[in-house]
Amino acid sequence: MLPMTSKTRSYSLQRRLLSLMALGFMALLLIISLLLWNYARGAANRTYDLLLAGAALAVLERVSPGPNGPSIDLPSSAMEILALAPDDRVVYRVFSPDTGVITGTTDLPVPSDMALQATPVFFDAPYGDPFRFVLQGRQMNSPDGRLWVAVQIGQTLEARHAQQLSLFLNGMTGLAGISLIGLGFVWLAIQRALSPLRQIEADLSARSPGDLTPVEAASPSEISGLFDAINGFIVRLDRNLKLTEGFIADVAHQIRTSLSALHGHLSLAVDSKDPKKMHARLVRAELQAERTVRLTNQLLANAMVIHRSDRATLKPIALKPVVRDTVAEMLRDSRMRKIIVTFDADQVADGEDIVIADALSIREALRNLIDNAIRHGPPDNTIDITLGIEDDALALKVEDAGPGIPEADRARATERFTSMRQDTAGSGLGLAIVQAVVDGHHAKLRFGTARKGGLSVMIAFPRAIGRAATSLFIIIALALGLVVPDGAVAQTITIFSATDTPAMAPVIAEFEARNPSVTIVYEEYQTVALHKAMLAGAAPDVVISSAMNLQVDLVNRGIARRLDMPEAEALPEWSTWRSELFGFTFEPAVIIYNSELFTPEYLPKEHRELANFIRDNAITLEGRIGIYDLRGSGIGYLFATQDAEQGMQSQRITEILGQSGVRTFCCTSDMVAATASGEISLAINVIGSYAMSLAAQDPRVGVHFLSDYNLVMARSAFIPKIAPNPAAAELFVRFLISEDGQHVVATQSQLIPILEVAEIESWAFSQLRAQKGSFLPIRLGPGLLTYLDNLKKSNFLEGWDASVRRSR
Amino acid sequence: MTMRILLIEDNEELAGTIVDRLRAEGHCVDRESDGNEANDLLRHSLFDIILLDVNLPGKSGYEILRSLRARGDATPVLILTARSQIDERVVGLDAGADDYMVKPFDFRELLARCRVLARRRSGTASNIFVAGGLSFDRAAKRAIVAGKDVDLRAREVQLLEILIDNLGRMLTKEEVADKLYSFDESPSMNAVEQIVTRLRRKLHDTPLVIKTARGLGYMAYVADDE
Repeated sequence: MLPMTSKTRSYSLQRRLLSLMALGFMALLLIISLLLWNYARGAANRTYDLLLAGAALAVLERVSPGPNGPSIDLPSSAMEILALAPDDRVVYRVFSPDTGVITGTTDLPVPSDMALQATPVFFDAPYGDPFRFVLQGRQMNSPDGRLWVAVQIGQTLEARHAQQLSLFLNGMTGLAGISLIGLGFVWLAIQRALSPLRQIEADLSARSPGDLTPVEAASPSEISGLFDAINGFIVRLDRNLKLTEGFIADVAHQIRTSLSALHGHLSLAVDSKDPKKMHARLVRAELQAERTVRLTNQLLANAMVIHRSDRATLKPIALKPVVRDTVAEMLRDSRMRKIIVTFDADQVADGEDIVIADALSIREALRNLIDNAIRHGPPDNTIDITLGIEDDALALKVEDAGPGIPEADRARATERFTSMRQDTAGSGLGLAIVQAVVDGHHAKLRFGTARKGGLSVMIAFPRAIGRAATSLFIIIALALGLVVPDGAVAQTITIFSATDTPAMAPVIAEFEARNPSVTIVYEEYQTVALHKAMLAGAAPDVVISSAMNLQVDLVNRGIARRLDMPEAEALPEWSTWRSELFGFTFEPAVIIYNSELFTPEYLPKEHRELANFIRDNAITLEGRIGIYDLRGSGIGYLFATQDAEQGMQSQRITEILGQSGVRTFCCTSDMVAATASGEISLAINVIGSYAMSLAAQDPRVGVHFLSDYNLVMARSAFIPKIAPNPAAAELFVRFLISEDGQHVVATQSQLIPILEVAEIESWAFSQLRAQKGSFLPIRLGPGLLTYLDNLKKSNFLEGWDASVRRSR
Repeated sequence: MTMRILLIEDNEELAGTIVDRLRAEGHCVDRESDGNEANDLLRHSLFDIILLDVNLPGKSGYEILRSLRARGDATPVLILTARSQIDERVVGLDAGADDYMVKPFDFRELLARCRVLARRRSGTASNIFVAGGLSFDRAAKRAIVAGKDVDLRAREVQLLEILIDNLGRMLTKEEVADKLYSFDESPSMNAVEQIVTRLRRKLHDTPLVIKTARGLGYMAYVADDE
């Protein structure tokens, strides 16, 4: 069976409808998504503007008039509110249009046309990264009259963007779901609508080949045309079949008749006694055989031509060579010796003779036309073959000098078995073949009278576009990526760290052993010096410090590189910020004491008992309590300010410490040594990791935890954006927070890992496990910025000085 | 002109009639019905003409033709086929076969074609070409008509050789020009026409006819043969 549909036209109506609908839905979704995106931005801004507004209010509330103009005690609540957008960096300033900036970052941008008012004003402005700001003012009384004080707080947009994306995605998910359901309904509708077509399909495919009755079905008005067309086609097919049946009957009749005649002549010849009569019979028999042969050839040619026009054998061919070759080949025939043949294709340039055709069929048609001219014309006939362009058609003309066909007979000349002249042994099929070729090529056939008096036959082929053949060259560009073998190149990373070198050395050694191509240069700093160096533009590969607030301050300035490390997911939430700063140790603040002087039971249990304890033992503890010098020790300041956040008793403790002649130390080791030697009896808020490791070695040093809370800080690391070897640096940070790295921290350094490393038993770890519920980790985040505010810091330190140093 | 002809045809009836007909004309005819045997025979026997059927037991006619030409054997081959369409790569100036006829064919036409092929062959293979009163000596580049020397110019001799080599075959004017002139001479079509006209005049009384088909080219044939 022949394939019923050609490849190029095959498509699914259902798929087409569905894909059109899907396109429509997508266009709608696109429009909606644009609207939704804008809506989500508005909504996210409204939400997070509330944080900015809240923080601004909290700050303004704490502005007070002072002798030197307005002053501010920055409330930690402001930063805590802002920290509700946990990953966003924060900038702020408090200023008065009259007296200038009171505290904060001085160079924050403000639109020039913005007037200060008592209601919050929000605006977007770039400050390195895009920021959103709130600006709010407040009028207050001062000795110089009323004046304006304003606060401007800015936040990066990460939380807003996340919120916007989340709102958008939620909305879009719903819409996409609805669209899918919609498409489902479309699909159902298409199924329903196409059911009449399936009915026709079922009807037609169930038919026997001979059943040519019209399709009977109730058709919807949209496809009644299709129904009519199918039924029309069936009627034509039926008619055609009857014609074919007629043709076969005709062919059978013609061949049988011809063979009968041949047979008759031969029988008579065989029976004939007279050699002369026999010869005459045989001559007639041969003539009859010749006719039969020709008839058969023509019938086969006719069948072939019709068959080939049925199958899609047409393709673009150049007509000129086909005609020339056919004529040249026919000229070999010895019948053609006396016949003058000319071929004129001068009017048609090469490339202009392209037609969509089947060369074999055209050859057959031309052969029949020339054969007709030979057969019906005189022995010295002239046959002129012309190829020319007429309007939009390529005209192939065959003219001769024979007798031609009278005009009245031309109409039926192409009918089968209609030979115009009996005496020339015409089969009556020659022009029928030509007609079949013409029909198969959608060409036109025209008869006329030749210039030389004979018949002129013209076949006009519709022309194909010949010259516009454009070649398409597809250039495949190969993108060659340069493969740099990593690990092969030796790299050096520099670590600026506020951590004792011996504490870090085992970790570094292990890392270098695992990564032989990376060498580490370790430079030790004090926390404050490190912070200053970084602000001055130093470019190490890794920055490590125990001063969480200073680290947060650096990261909040946008100098840290974002790191996407799978290992970071295991870290406690409080110990990472913005995927840029990572805590890797767990270091509680502890009280250490000289165990020869105290038993643990004697020591206070809670912070609020501490003040009473000192006062009750004022004489024995006079000048024998150690604390960090807050001006020199970043970690000391961090613990002190965090204690201050916990309640009023810290202020009281500080004052009592001052009265008891407290001693200040720069560093943990000095403080522990002094305790061990009995130089002091007690030290408060000592970094637990160092203290515990020393206490484990020195039985004179005891470590004491309080039961209400024990602050916990984490040593943290980040990679600056300007790090020269960020890839190797990332390897190091990954190792630092990986289980393997943490294991090295736990077993080989005096630091305490932030991850709970299993199967390690030591005195320090059992101590820590026993205190588990009392640990209060200091959270990495903008909340730590409060006490870095210059005004706030100087006020706090002045207060501390007043308490601690006044007593000296 | 007696020819030694090999007929390779498996149909007994048809082969019988062809053999009888050719022998009646005085030709010497061998017949093979199997492709392989015919192929073997052709390895060590020489014929003037081979009549070759396409559908054969053993080896097809095309295969026999291909191995014949591969051996460098230039014996003229006339293909007999029952297919109304013949592969154009088989017939042509440069291809293996010299001519073809579609069955059923007229015996007179078959004989005429055979004579043309034999003439073409003898004109190429031997130095002397004779047709009626015309005798052309290739080596001496002399043509004699009715016992008299014909004064032929060099180009005319060349053209005569070309026409004899392609007897019964249509040559386009461009093909003639290409053969007549070397690569660096720019041939003019008018010059070709003039040479043909002159040669035709000089051979006017001989059976060698130079037929011109305007727009198609030239074809020479020997009139006496038909």
